[in-house]
Amino acid sequence: MNKIIIENDIVVQTKLSSKVKLSFLEKNEDFIVNKLVIDMIGDSKLEIEYRNDTALKLDILIRISEGVKADIFEIRKGNLMKIQYRYDLDTNSSLSIAKFYYINGIKELDTIYLKGENSKIDYKLKTISTVREKYDITVHHEGKNSESLIETNGVTVLNGTIDFHVSGFVPNGKTGCVLNQNNRIVNLNEQKCSIHPNLFIDEYDVIANHSAFIGKFKEEELFYLESRGLSEAESINLLVKGFLLSNLELSNKRKEEVNNIINQYWR
Amino acid sequence: MHILKIEHLTVEVEKKIILHDFNLEIKSGEVHAIMGPNGTGKSTLSKVIMGYPGYHIIEGTITFDGTIVNDLSVDKRAKLGIFLGMQMPLEIEGVTNADFLRSALNAKENENFNLMKFIKKLDTTVEMLEMNKDMIHRDINQGFSGGERKKNEILQMYMLKPSMVILDEIDSGLDVDSLKIVGTSAMKYFEEEAPAALIITHYQRLLEYIKPTHVHIMIDGSIVKSGDSSLVEEIETSGYDKFKKSGTHAMEASNHHE
Repeated sequence: MNKIIIENDIVVQTKLSSKVKLSFLEKNEDFIVNKLVIDMIGDSKLEIEYRNDTALKLDILIRISEGVKADIFEIRKGNLMKIQYRYDLDTNSSLSIAKFYYINGIKELDTIYLKGENSKIDYKLKTISTVREKYDITVHHEGKNSESLIETNGVTVLNGTIDFHVSGFVPNGKTGCVLNQNNRIVNLNEQKCSIHPNLFIDEYDVIANHSAFIGKFKEEELFYLESRGLSEAESINLLVKGFLLSNLELSNKRKEEVNNIINQYWR
Repeated sequence: MHILKIEHLTVEVEKKIILHDFNLEIKSGEVHAIMGPNGTGKSTLSKVIMGYPGYHIIEGTITFDGTIVNDLSVDKRAKLGIFLGMQMPLEIEGVTNADFLRSALNAKENENFNLMKFIKKLDTTVEMLEMNKDMIHRDINQGFSGGERKKNEILQMYMLKPSMVILDEIDSGLDVDSLKIVGTSAMKYFEEEAPAALIITHYQRLLEYIKPTHVHIMIDGSIVKSGDSSLVEEIETSGYDKFKKSGTHAMEASNHHE
């Protein structure tokens, strides 16, 4: 497994094969923005870990080369982050990306360019929000037969609020594209959250779906779990783990780490 | 000896009285079957014993082993030993059967929980119920057929070993083979563990496998007739109509008395 660890504004550790290149890193002193470029040029898996105890701004470009199958897992913990991503996917490439966040505030802008034909992204974002979080995720289907699956799952606790803005674009002539969005927020406090799903499609030959949910866990689900002897907190703990960890392939170490974070609030 | 005692229970759901002056007592080793037409309050009874939110007890008490459970939380009732096998078990995304059962047993047994014993018992029970072994690692009831869901309820009953079992229409949605497995497995548990048991059903077919010691007919939120298993044959022959009439009289008499 390839690995990059970023602590505050410094890349503190890398373990990369020849299939992953961390080719460019600069610091803009005026705007205090760090720029990072990651090229995935061969089939590979990458883990990126962010640990920051000060407010941080990052600008990251991830490029997936033609025909490459890439798998990225990101875990972020710490303080306020302003982060801007750009993903460029070439012809016949695919990217499966899963992110788990536990940060004291975040503003994130993700722009995904499915540049090549048959390019494909499977994007999963899971977050526990304790303060304000805002995400703008935009997918541009520039290649024919390109596919996007955007799945965002958030749970709010303490003063957490989440805004998901998710937009998919298909211009005229880009036939055979598939767009799927599934955005869900389980609101375990009384703060206001929002989801803005948008599909901007100027082509007939497209399959597009979206679903959005903001609410609590179902009363029936809690009753079912509690009827087997689990307390309300234990039941919510299980449901939160299910909600955030389903469809994520985590190592045992990461699973334990995420479980410990969840156990802090619901035990 | 475990005893569930329901006395003069009146229950309101969404501003409508569903159970009216309901009385029932079930002791360890007894299997009580409640039968009745649709909408008569049978499922309400099972849910109110378990503490389903929104089901309000207007009057009366539910007591289990001397503890009034009216105001107890759902999990505390479960910890007392009450188990409800549900008519329509829910799908729960992301929570596997194994994790769920392990958590539930952990909550019940605390430091006495033994993982090896848990795995062994789970394996033998899954085999007895002729369930696919993979199902234990799948999300709770997700993609399960009706029969698989009901078997999963019976599996949970065996794992949690309750002293009071309520099975709410455990026969609904089952094919002939699944009905036999679910029915005989439930009866086996009743014979081995001798819990106080309450079976809610519409049909005689479940009672070919589960042999009740007491049979009750419920109409309009009250028991209108009680007897032994011969009452089941009477229902099969005559239907519920004649009991409905006597049920109406019973309600009228009760109202008049008030």
